[in-house]
Amino acid sequence: MFELRNVTKSYLTPNGRRYVFRNLSLAIPPGKNIGLIGRNGAGKSTLMRLLGGADVPDSGTIVTDRSISWPVGLTGGFQGSMSGRDNIKFVCRVYGATGDAMREKIRYVQEFAEIGDWIDEPIKTYSSGMRSRVAFGLSMAFDFDYYLIDEVMSVGDAQFKRKCAKVFKEKLQHSNVVLVSHSMPEIKKLCDVVLLVRDGGIQVYDDVDEGIHAYKS
Amino acid sequence: MPHGALLCFAVTILKPRSSLQIQKSVIFALVLREARSRLGSRRLGAVWLLLEPICHLLVFTVLFAMLRARTVSGVEYPVFILVGMAPFLLYRNTALRLMDSLRENRSLFGYKQIKPLDTYIARVIVETCIAATVYAILVFGFAWYGFDMSVHSPLQWVATLLLGLLFAFGLGMLLALITHALPSLKIVIRMAFFPLYFISGVLIPATYLPQSMMPVLLLNPFLHILELIRAEVLPHYTPVDGVSETYVITFTMVLLFLSLGAYRARRMHLISTKNG
Repeated sequence: MFELRNVTKSYLTPNGRRYVFRNLSLAIPPGKNIGLIGRNGAGKSTLMRLLGGADVPDSGTIVTDRSISWPVGLTGGFQGSMSGRDNIKFVCRVYGATGDAMREKIRYVQEFAEIGDWIDEPIKTYSSGMRSRVAFGLSMAFDFDYYLIDEVMSVGDAQFKRKCAKVFKEKLQHSNVVLVSHSMPEIKKLCDVVLLVRDGGIQVYDDVDEGIHAYKS
Repeated sequence: MPHGALLCFAVTILKPRSSLQIQKSVIFALVLREARSRLGSRRLGAVWLLLEPICHLLVFTVLFAMLRARTVSGVEYPVFILVGMAPFLLYRNTALRLMDSLRENRSLFGYKQIKPLDTYIARVIVETCIAATVYAILVFGFAWYGFDMSVHSPLQWVATLLLGLLFAFGLGMLLALITHALPSLKIVIRMAFFPLYFISGVLIPATYLPQSMMPVLLLNPFLHILELIRAEVLPHYTPVDGVSETYVITFTMVLLFLSLGAYRARRMHLISTKNG
């Protein structure tokens, strides 16, 4: 579960402070797949970062007792001059997977991303498809209670997409997602709760169709 | 590859860790990453990494030894230069690298465990390791050539070196915070380190600096640190009047307080992707 208590978040821009959320309080029941919808710039990604702990509110608290992933498919953290293996090792170390656990995860990512011996080449030599396959595989190699997904469900070719969907389905038996998407069919397919982010506020819809209807109207 | 093969890797569930454990593993991971990226992908990366500062130090020591008198306060001039210049370069590099740390590590803050402070600490560790290796190589080289490389009071020397490092850390962090708010200042700060070379007495003993300017020059903690280091390494070296360890300690404490306080106040702003 997530609980937001009096959360205020703003960003300082060259033209002054811009508030994304003001004094926001809400609770999201446990065990639900959460969809975040809203117009561009409404604050969906900010909310996701706040939930994931990658960003901190100006005031107020966000409480959760679950483990939360980094944004699935995050490629920005890769160091181009380091090999794929070293980049995977880096994330493993940060998340405390050492020794056998680390080797196992490297093997998993290597198999999943189908990169074979490219794993020892510098990341900057990878094609963008390879890079995102590694990033997606890396996210799947770790078990989290919640996976944060920011509009990156589609990487690679058709076959790889099928594989992703399959692995993801397995993950969803034990875990949940926080999904940011503009694709309503996807939201409908994956989510149990919809959070409509609009005008600095958030409405929680337990009925997904109702939420989508409210978004479209 | 058959899809079934994926299932045979049981993905282990990670144990919850304490904050200290997390920070330790993050710093360790960052140190390795930093070292890796500094070494580069080329095979000669490691050689070049060490060779560059070695050349820098060698050129200066040899050049100035030829230009000036052969000895300064009873020691060979190259030894005199090395003893002061190596720590100065370490402190300068530390401060400047911390200044660039935020920009170069921005993408890592997507992982919530990694905070800017961790990247600062990792940079200091890597920079110190490189400097220590370079210094050790040069000291052995000089000793092999026939210079007397013994350290007069080793414990105090190490203490002063660490104090200087702490000072450089505080300075670098403050510079990082300042240049985060005002990025255009970076070039000015870089340029400011050049005259520091001369007014800190890196190439000459502080007694050679104009005496009338001394009260002003003594405001510069680098001058104090270098004089103290030389006095601790060279047996017959007398630092200039007014050099005091207390001044450096006080300065460092105030600096650390300021930079950590400013960091605390700005920490959310630093990791925010909305602010370049």
